[in-house]
Amino acid sequence: MATTAVLQGLSGFESELNAAAERLRRITVQARTHRMGEGSGVIWSRSGLVVSNAHVARAGSLEIELWDGRVFEGRVRWRDPRRDLALITIPATGLPEAVPGDAGALRPGDLVLALGHPFGLANALALGVVHGLAAGPGRNRWIRADIRLAPGNSGGPLANVAGEVIGLNTLVAGGLAHAIPVSVVQRFLAETGEQAA
Amino acid sequence: MGTSVPAAGTLAGLSNDLAEAVTRASRSVVAIHGRRRIPSSGVVWGPGVVVTANHTLTRDEDISLTLPDGGTGVATLAGRDPTTDIAVLRTDSSLPPAERAPDANLQVGRLVLAVGRPGPEVTASLGIVSAVGGEWRTWQGGRVDRFVRLDLSVYDGFSGGPLVEAGGRVLGINTSGLTRAMAVALPVATVDRVAGELVKKGHVTRGYLGLAVQPVRLPGPMRQELGLAGRMGLVIINLEAGGPADRAGLLLGDIITGVEGEDVSDPSDILTFLGPERVGKEAKLRIVRAGKTKPVAITVGERPRKGH
Repeated sequence: MATTAVLQGLSGFESELNAAAERLRRITVQARTHRMGEGSGVIWSRSGLVVSNAHVARAGSLEIELWDGRVFEGRVRWRDPRRDLALITIPATGLPEAVPGDAGALRPGDLVLALGHPFGLANALALGVVHGLAAGPGRNRWIRADIRLAPGNSGGPLANVAGEVIGLNTLVAGGLAHAIPVSVVQRFLAETGEQAA
Repeated sequence: MGTSVPAAGTLAGLSNDLAEAVTRASRSVVAIHGRRRIPSSGVVWGPGVVVTANHTLTRDEDISLTLPDGGTGVATLAGRDPTTDIAVLRTDSSLPPAERAPDANLQVGRLVLAVGRPGPEVTASLGIVSAVGGEWRTWQGGRVDRFVRLDLSVYDGFSGGPLVEAGGRVLGINTSGLTRAMAVALPVATVDRVAGELVKKGHVTRGYLGLAVQPVRLPGPMRQELGLAGRMGLVIINLEAGGPADRAGLLLGDIITGVEGEDVSDPSDILTFLGPERVGKEAKLRIVRAGKTKPVAITVGERPRKGH
């Protein structure tokens, strides 16, 4: 009996992980600049707003590939190197969009998921925990996570177990993933005036 | 979504349990300012007693704590045991001692968290227990009750912090000071034993012979003539004047081939032998001198404390 209960728990765990990964996969794009490497991005609105890192969106335009294989030319509308954020638009509508989570509710030990394209490998899922919060550039705070990321994860989502986006994976330092909290992304979007529809 | 009720929210439930475990354990985790770089972590082990990893304390005085509530505490060094990498501090700050998990919970595959406080805020990493073995000796000869290897990242400043089970209780103390490549934890039993002795006496008793040795290969004909089973012996290359070995009449160049009937082939064999229980007792050594075997009886001394 006990074994059955454990296995049920484990299969529940796996199916929920699958479901969360699938939700993330649909809102995560591959961002390619001409032969300058790959990064990731997050679809922020169904009308074609994509958020990524400024260090991913270095050119005026880049190639954005969606979960379903469709490829669009993305135009970089706003770029903020200080916060390392960029806003890109693609000519598409009716897209699945990110559901922002509450990064302020995070505690060390909370499980987190990351989806991205580390080393060009599409749609790689990583599981880890919140490590802590630390002072970042300016008055922003990074979300630091004990999770294995690599170049190519930049601009991709860090999410809670519900699949809600809590941050944008931006850099790895001291073995720890550093993500820009979703609140900072939202403030950036508000400033650009391109509020998610 | 899922059809069964327990399955819905399993992931969220686990996430919440892990965060709760960190919160619960963190009440007994302090930051220790005892070196120049970032602080290390420590665990409240008893009333007014904090344990940490010895290698993270580069000074004996002027040690301060950052407490779980963000306040500052003063700590004095009660003692160090470099052989097990445990140091004990005393503090006036009143903090709840860590809840210990039963030793039986140290099992391969258990989900565990490393909790640290390398600054004001608590931090965590997640992994599993990857191996549990029996008693082992550290490279400095310290006795550790269980070998606990972790598949988990021990980040900067985590040494001295607790290894925590998913329920929030402490399974041991993490340290990167005893092994190079992998994360290991000192089990509760070892921390209890060593910290107890450090609190009581300020140091850990170790047996002492007052000699240094180096392994040498014993020539085949000599082994045959003397009836020695082992291929190696330990040649004495240094003798402490007036030390136990000197008083027993051992000489430079004597080759130790056995201790209490056991062959010895590596200096660690002697370190392993010199546990606290040997102090004051007689040890029978078998040596080779001038081509002949000779039994020697030594009264094991207590290792003098360096710098005191």
